[in-house]
Amino acid sequence: MHHVDTIIFALGSLLMLAILAGRASSRVGAPLLLVFLALGIAVDKLANFQFNDYRLASLVGSIAIAVILFDGGLRTPRAVFKVARWPALVLSTIGVLITAGVTCVVARWLLGVGWAQGFLIGSIVASTDAAAVFLLLHQRGLRLRPRVSALLEVESGLNDPMAVFLTLLSIHAVQGAGFGWAQLGQFALEMGGGGIIGIAGGFALSALINRLELSAGLYPILALAGTLFIFGATQTIGASGFLAVYLAGFIIGNRRVKARQIIERFHDGLAWLSQISLFLMLGVLVSPDTLVRVALPALVVAVALILVARPLAVTLCLSFFGFAWNERLFISWVGLRGAVPIFLGLLPVLSGLPGAETYFGIAFAVVLLSLLAQGWTIGPAARLLDVEIPADPEPASRADIDLPVDGPQQLAMLTVSPDSEAAVRGLGRLVVPESVRVLAMIREGHPVAPEEVRVLYPGDAVLVLGEPAALTVMERLFGRRDHGRRAAGLGDFQVKGDTPLATVAGLYGFEAPGVDGDIAIGEHLGRRLGRRASVGVRLKVGEVALIVAAMDEARVTEVGIDLTPNERPWTRLRQGLKGLRKRTA
Amino acid sequence: MPSQFLLTPMVELLRPDGIVANLKASSKKQVLQEMAKRAADLTGQHERAIFDVLLERERLGTTGVGRGIAIPHGKLPALPKVCALFARLDRPVDFDSIDEQPVDLICLLLAPESAGADHLKALALVSRMLRNPLFCEKLRGADTADAIYALLTHTEASNAA
Repeated sequence: MHHVDTIIFALGSLLMLAILAGRASSRVGAPLLLVFLALGIAVDKLANFQFNDYRLASLVGSIAIAVILFDGGLRTPRAVFKVARWPALVLSTIGVLITAGVTCVVARWLLGVGWAQGFLIGSIVASTDAAAVFLLLHQRGLRLRPRVSALLEVESGLNDPMAVFLTLLSIHAVQGAGFGWAQLGQFALEMGGGGIIGIAGGFALSALINRLELSAGLYPILALAGTLFIFGATQTIGASGFLAVYLAGFIIGNRRVKARQIIERFHDGLAWLSQISLFLMLGVLVSPDTLVRVALPALVVAVALILVARPLAVTLCLSFFGFAWNERLFISWVGLRGAVPIFLGLLPVLSGLPGAETYFGIAFAVVLLSLLAQGWTIGPAARLLDVEIPADPEPASRADIDLPVDGPQQLAMLTVSPDSEAAVRGLGRLVVPESVRVLAMIREGHPVAPEEVRVLYPGDAVLVLGEPAALTVMERLFGRRDHGRRAAGLGDFQVKGDTPLATVAGLYGFEAPGVDGDIAIGEHLGRRLGRRASVGVRLKVGEVALIVAAMDEARVTEVGIDLTPNERPWTRLRQGLKGLRKRTA
Repeated sequence: MPSQFLLTPMVELLRPDGIVANLKASSKKQVLQEMAKRAADLTGQHERAIFDVLLERERLGTTGVGRGIAIPHGKLPALPKVCALFARLDRPVDFDSIDEQPVDLICLLLAPESAGADHLKALALVSRMLRNPLFCEKLRGADTADAIYALLTHTEASNAA
């Protein structure tokens, strides 16, 4: 076999192996990225790859992270961004600085390194990872309070430039350079330039996509080319390409663009490919001997980061944004590290710093530990800390059909799942959103007129036309309902948002001093919470806590009532632990 | 550390004759009617008044809290103390529950108009207890009304210990 063929064969088998291993790992609940990383290490050890081309790794890593961030932006709805942008911005700038600083102090204290070296270690591991966060927060069946998951997602999209900046700064410091105005200017360029080019690039790219008449398959390639163009151009002028592509993705994802479905599908696949190849490559790159050598310092850094630095940063940054203690604790715990720290760990190597491989080794080991400890426990942690909300029904199998005309309507084919609302109620008794029209139906391969159908059977396919939001509702109606999940975190009981506050106060015997009793409970809650209002957010009123249980745009439509909000945090934790023990017993 | 539920243990809310092991009903309304009737027998209050109070609460939002559980509740001016009634349905009925699951375990709670904290504590107690899926499975599997009563009061005793 030729050399080239061998490489192609190896690549193909590695990818297949990664996907199969990933599939198998979901049975034991192992974080997928961990599996890819472990596979990379295993292949490196077994096949004796001797891959140590840090330059190539940095190139592949940059492209992969750019693609992942663009995809992350693409699937961040405007509402999610809006709900979390300010806390996320604070957490991804000041928070990253605090995290790096605290990790530095601990590293200096316990490992005896210099300030600059300590800060370099802190900066490398300071940012949370978009790939890991997006992947782990969207695991099947896990649904968090929207504000919490929004914050974690947006934070992971925004905090890379700060970490890159701090890492470069400390590399210069290790090399003996001082700190001055030039560095501050550099920071302004990183953030400002990245932000402006990203937003402008997003608008320009979406306009270009809409303007050009291409064959359908070329649109996603155009989007990819645009991503790389924006990333490369921004990095070249010294601004943050990571920030730019995330924002560009966000802009395109929230504007009407041609061939949206095919672009999204393509980038979804591409993001997967990027994650697999990135983590495989990083796994191959690290030598297990290095890992063993740095195991102890890495453990110290990881523990300092996970148990001290991140919680401190989260507590300090989020204390003004009205997050509950359990939410802050959860956000602290889910500071998932992934590709970015490892990628940043490459920078000292590329800069030719003495002992650079140690930094890389530490970064790698910290990520490994983070994925192991945090990635594996996201689900239980969410249940324990009560930030999980009832999962929506599994979405139905849905195939989108691109319409050749511009307009707000979308066309989609939905298949009825067994146990779905649609299968139980039939078309006639199904509450369908107003804008939706059922156009046609296919049963056992034959077209049927929708008006002749009373009962829907699993497997029936229905062609519907409607606005995107309405189609999402339809997807839920046609998807399998999730039985057996309790309404955690939404209170003991729920009432409709238009119920007068006085009625509820009378019924549950609490007082709401200084409040007009005629006001509807949902309105009262919405007013008091203001911008913070989102599902799962609570407000103490007298003896009870009111919780936003459902929202329609900015209006609170369902209110949950927690009858025992005064329970001490540790009591809840203890009860949660008891529950866990029982479940495992 | 004693639990705060100690103050209103289930024994004080529920009498052995306040359990219906196999209630027959085909709709939410019928369930509420049947339970109002039995609650009237237990408390000496008007059946109609109880039914109206329960219906009024359901109008504000369902008390079907999910997993096949419903906790209808309300306040009655002339009632002397908080009292409970537990029923297991012969066949589950649609209760407009928040998870759209049909309901088969129902714990009715009635409180005097003046019972502020007691009512809250009783509701919280029942809600906590019925949130435990293992416990609910035991209630579903119990043979007789006495067995259900023992389960409900015994859990409380072991919690309080």
